[in-house]
Amino acid sequence: MDTQVIGHRTPRVDGENKLTGRADYTTDWYVEDMLHGYPVPASIAHGTLEALDIEPVLAMPGVVAVYHHGNFPRLYRSPSSQAHQDQVSEVRLPFEDERIHYDGQYVAMVVAERYEQARAAAQALQARYRQDDGARPGLLYTREDGRPLESEGGSRGDPESAYERAPVKIDHVYGIAPESHMQMEMHATLAQWRDGRLIVHESSQGVIYQQKAMARIFDLPEEQVEVISHYIGSGFGNKLFMWPHAVAVAAAARELGRPVKAVLPRQQDMESGGNRPASRQRLRLAADEQGRLQSMRHDSTTETSFVHPYVDSVGSPTLSLYACDNAAISQHLLEVNHGTPCPMRAPGEVSGIYALECAMDELAIALDMDPLELRRRNYNHEDPAKGLPWSSKHLDTCYDSAARRFGWERRDSAVGSMTEGDEILGWGMATSSWFAGRQPCMARVELRADGTVLAACGTQDIGTGTYTVVAQTVAELTGVPLDRVEVRLGESSLPAGPLSGGSMATATTLPAVAAAVRAAIDELKEVATDEDAPFTGADPDGLTFRDGALVDAQGKRVTFDELLTGQKLGSVNGDGQAAPGDEQQQYSFRSFGAHFVEVRWDPAITRLRVSRVVSSIDIGRAVNPATARNQVEGAIVMGMGMGLFEKLDYDPRDARLINNNYSDYIVTSHADMPDIDVELLDNPDYAFNEFGARGVGEIGLTGIAPAIANAVYHATGKRIRELPITIDKLLDI
Amino acid sequence: MMESSETSAQAGETVTVSLTVNGEPRQLQVTPNVVLLDALRDDLRLTGTKKGCDHGQCGACTVHVDGKAVNSCLRLAVMCEGRHVTTVEGLARDGQLHPVQRAFLEHDAYQCGYCTPGQMMSAAALLEDERIAADDASVREAMSGNLCRCGAYKNILEAIQDARRDVTAGTGEGA
Amino acid sequence: MRSFAYRTAEDISQAVTTHGADDHVAYVAGGTTLLDLVKLDVMRPSQLVDINRLPLSEVETLDDGRLRIGATVTNTDLAHHPEVKARYPLLSQALLSGASTQLRNMATTAGNVMQRTRCPYYRDASAACNRREPGSGCDAMHGINRMHAVLGVSDACIATHPSDMCVAMAAIGATLTLEGPEGVREMAFNDFHRLPGEQPEKEHELRPGELITHVTLDTPVEGAGAHYLKLRDRASYEFALASAGAVVAVEDGMIREARLALGGVATKPWRAHEAEQALHDQPASIETFEMAAEAALQDAVPHEHNAFKIPLARQAIVRALREACKDAENANPQR
Repeated sequence: MDTQVIGHRTPRVDGENKLTGRADYTTDWYVEDMLHGYPVPASIAHGTLEALDIEPVLAMPGVVAVYHHGNFPRLYRSPSSQAHQDQVSEVRLPFEDERIHYDGQYVAMVVAERYEQARAAAQALQARYRQDDGARPGLLYTREDGRPLESEGGSRGDPESAYERAPVKIDHVYGIAPESHMQMEMHATLAQWRDGRLIVHESSQGVIYQQKAMARIFDLPEEQVEVISHYIGSGFGNKLFMWPHAVAVAAAARELGRPVKAVLPRQQDMESGGNRPASRQRLRLAADEQGRLQSMRHDSTTETSFVHPYVDSVGSPTLSLYACDNAAISQHLLEVNHGTPCPMRAPGEVSGIYALECAMDELAIALDMDPLELRRRNYNHEDPAKGLPWSSKHLDTCYDSAARRFGWERRDSAVGSMTEGDEILGWGMATSSWFAGRQPCMARVELRADGTVLAACGTQDIGTGTYTVVAQTVAELTGVPLDRVEVRLGESSLPAGPLSGGSMATATTLPAVAAAVRAAIDELKEVATDEDAPFTGADPDGLTFRDGALVDAQGKRVTFDELLTGQKLGSVNGDGQAAPGDEQQQYSFRSFGAHFVEVRWDPAITRLRVSRVVSSIDIGRAVNPATARNQVEGAIVMGMGMGLFEKLDYDPRDARLINNNYSDYIVTSHADMPDIDVELLDNPDYAFNEFGARGVGEIGLTGIAPAIANAVYHATGKRIRELPITIDKLLDI
Repeated sequence: MMESSETSAQAGETVTVSLTVNGEPRQLQVTPNVVLLDALRDDLRLTGTKKGCDHGQCGACTVHVDGKAVNSCLRLAVMCEGRHVTTVEGLARDGQLHPVQRAFLEHDAYQCGYCTPGQMMSAAALLEDERIAADDASVREAMSGNLCRCGAYKNILEAIQDARRDVTAGTGEGA
Repeated sequence: MRSFAYRTAEDISQAVTTHGADDHVAYVAGGTTLLDLVKLDVMRPSQLVDINRLPLSEVETLDDGRLRIGATVTNTDLAHHPEVKARYPLLSQALLSGASTQLRNMATTAGNVMQRTRCPYYRDASAACNRREPGSGCDAMHGINRMHAVLGVSDACIATHPSDMCVAMAAIGATLTLEGPEGVREMAFNDFHRLPGEQPEKEHELRPGELITHVTLDTPVEGAGAHYLKLRDRASYEFALASAGAVVAVEDGMIREARLALGGVATKPWRAHEAEQALHDQPASIETFEMAAEAALQDAVPHEHNAFKIPLARQAIVRALREACKDAENANPQR
């Protein structure tokens, strides 16, 4: 497809709003008569709330109400069905009973006139607990495995006997600490009721899902609920599905007859607003002398809370990434007394690929083979898990290009052999991958008499650039310049759009927008060929639309704004929808890439820094190369955190979260930035959709942590199998 | 710095604080436990300044007080009597984006945009501060008080260095 | 953050009078520690006395060559002060390694002397902490204590003193000027912070209502080199796991005088006297530095998660001494 706008770098259409402070994030909404809610978190992780001393708090300045188990209105649970799009992050309603299942679980919510008053009252509220013994600590502190998950298993061939027969094998256990999303904007809700209708501003990655869940919980018709999320201070998965705070705020607003807003304090956001669950993964790989994989087994355990069975599917990439006839995955789920986990960027796969790609490195060492060469020898051209050809796979090009730019051929495989002054260089690599998914989607486009075009869809822009790629699509198909395209997203009253998650929003939304553009143009042609119209009597199919105008075979050209104005019409509308189709039976869809990482290791002071990352990623078409590249670069930054810094520290004695803040939970800072060289291959995947785009939000994160771990081994000779790789693990004590 | 009168307030007592915000004289009616960040947002509705941690650990709330970048979450509103506060809303002048804003747009130096006002306020102060060296490593270190979870640091650095050319060429003026 | 009263003071005596030696009244300058802890409900002052208008924002060289720093001089201004950069580079380096640009713009010299521990159990009002609530116990002792101290610990408390600035001051040597209801007095910097012992809640020697008005640095060691090395997980904006501040004067390859202080590993800013003795009149060599490092950590007491700090601190010492010696050579090539 020869394109003018799509595939070209353009500044974000919402950029100026973000740069001037005008962008209206949920936290920025203030409405008349609004009250401030402040949840009160439990200070135990396992036990019972025995008493709350409400009266003194009610007497404090500005306090309007305190909600808790004793006075919270009766509501219904959402069925939390993915199929019905009413999924929630935690099915348990706030204040449902007096049991405490995790540190930070809400025991009350104070509502006051001013924020400071609500906070002071929440801190003053005295709670008495009965703390039970035996709080179950996180996965990293127990050998328990929990229950097996039939749904997460899969196998082919006979991996067990193939493993026994093979000459070269490895068998190791890898662990990942629980992580926090640490999105910059905390969870926030503003709820107001108008004539029985619930209007919610929420920092949400899924306004449609929240609309439906709210309707179930408050027993309302869906059309009586509106959820709005124009700008989101990102989410990384923890804003896909609604959390209990939103229910508490909406209920308080109903009871009080006034709007209520609550912004979770960072501590509460980390305790009760989602996390990536810890995982423990056993990898057994076996190969023949030439490095051809004979057997792959990947047995995992992940954790969840006692109130919601979240499953992080870590094993699935192992069945697809390499050619191997004998493979099996299995998974267990263990309930622990932590806040409920939820999807976090590249959920499941990033964890599984970490273990797999470290195991591949260990296998390469066992084979005395270059780790890149091992990947090449096990390259596949079809998805062994589905028995379908890949729609478009260029991983070999990624390997070649990234290795060349990195200088991989200069790597001396001997541990600690590449020195520079006090420092030792370590070079490691890993494969990167994320499945390509698409959902059904609707969109609406209006060609308007003022010469502008409106595109609307009930999806969201979480910072990935959805506003911009939708505008680019409209501009591409209409020829109308970007500054005359208006995009509306983030409202549940708009045509139903997808979650902003799983790297699916672009691939899902753009075909629907394109269909809507075409429908609007068809409508315009009808208008143009009506009586007393510029093309009266002409065959609508004989007209073409380009550069914002209808043109007939004779070259007569009328712009759509002239046409609409002349016909005294404000606009013509087009509704479009799109969904995945037959291609799903013909191909398997997945993005691939490769990361090469250099670390610098100063053993005399145990200082480890990532100094260089070179990546080649194939995401099909990058609709906007600037925003797409930014996604991968940002994922590398997050992957450094996963590899080196990030760990939610729960005290194993009582399962309380110790580092519930931005100071003690370490994320990558600006000073940690290595040189980053990201290349996006431009191979449109037209089998997937008409724009050839597979999505880009997740893939960059996969493979970074193992590439770092592999580089650390190369530099230090230490194989650290538990993330994060912190200083204490590198020191010989 | 402007001389100003004594301030005294009992617990819970609302007092008037006079200060200059984005060049305009403003008055706040606040109790002593109101923080500058919340006063800017809740009272003056200058919501461009963001709360990310409320404890000086992320930098999203960075504003200039008397020309210096500070965490507005760790300053009481009553401590700002007579002070000059500049927020992201005051960065653009006469309808023209500040060079840092232009460079952030051009270099795609953000994703979700939530840390961006704080990033830009730090960047604008940095470019006016001769004590901070202009090399990339020094800028990265000086900007490390502004966390970006989307990880747009590469583009943020490029934007700042690009804006530096504008600022030093005299086409821009620091806030 | 609960409710409190607030009052500005125009001069020192008014500040002291307003404070009234009341345990529930706190002075506030930068506010970066105080307001953080008030928000966490760890500190619950009834009143704040704002000392920002006091005439304490100057840095001046005294006739005897010492440098006198006003209480409200910010970390940024102190770090970049020409006299500090030229004569006390260790202090400048230490300051710039701490916190962030914004926090350094707010945090003051006296405030940083008064900085509180980052122990997560201290910062959690519902946890057991002898420092915050005497007699309540210590959740850190058998808890997540990776960040905790190995030097100067007691059975009551193992909380780390977090300041970088104070490490430099401990090495350089300084005098605090204190003013309170009973008048003005001076105290050696290294006598100011207390070891936790049986009473970790008594963190320092300030009497009720006393205000730190100045920190006066000792005259610098002549011809010395200096280096502050901070080791931590990420590259910036994080507290030290171990840090070492070294000032070393070398003559003919022999160490004439050495000052060494440690951060991130001790319950107070830690002057390593035993290490200094091990360095005195010894050759400026890695072997000497390693002996000094051994001496500095010989009394270290590890807990479950922080044993790594002992070798890490040794590494910080050896490297800081090496770099300080290099710095001395560069400054005095003739020696």
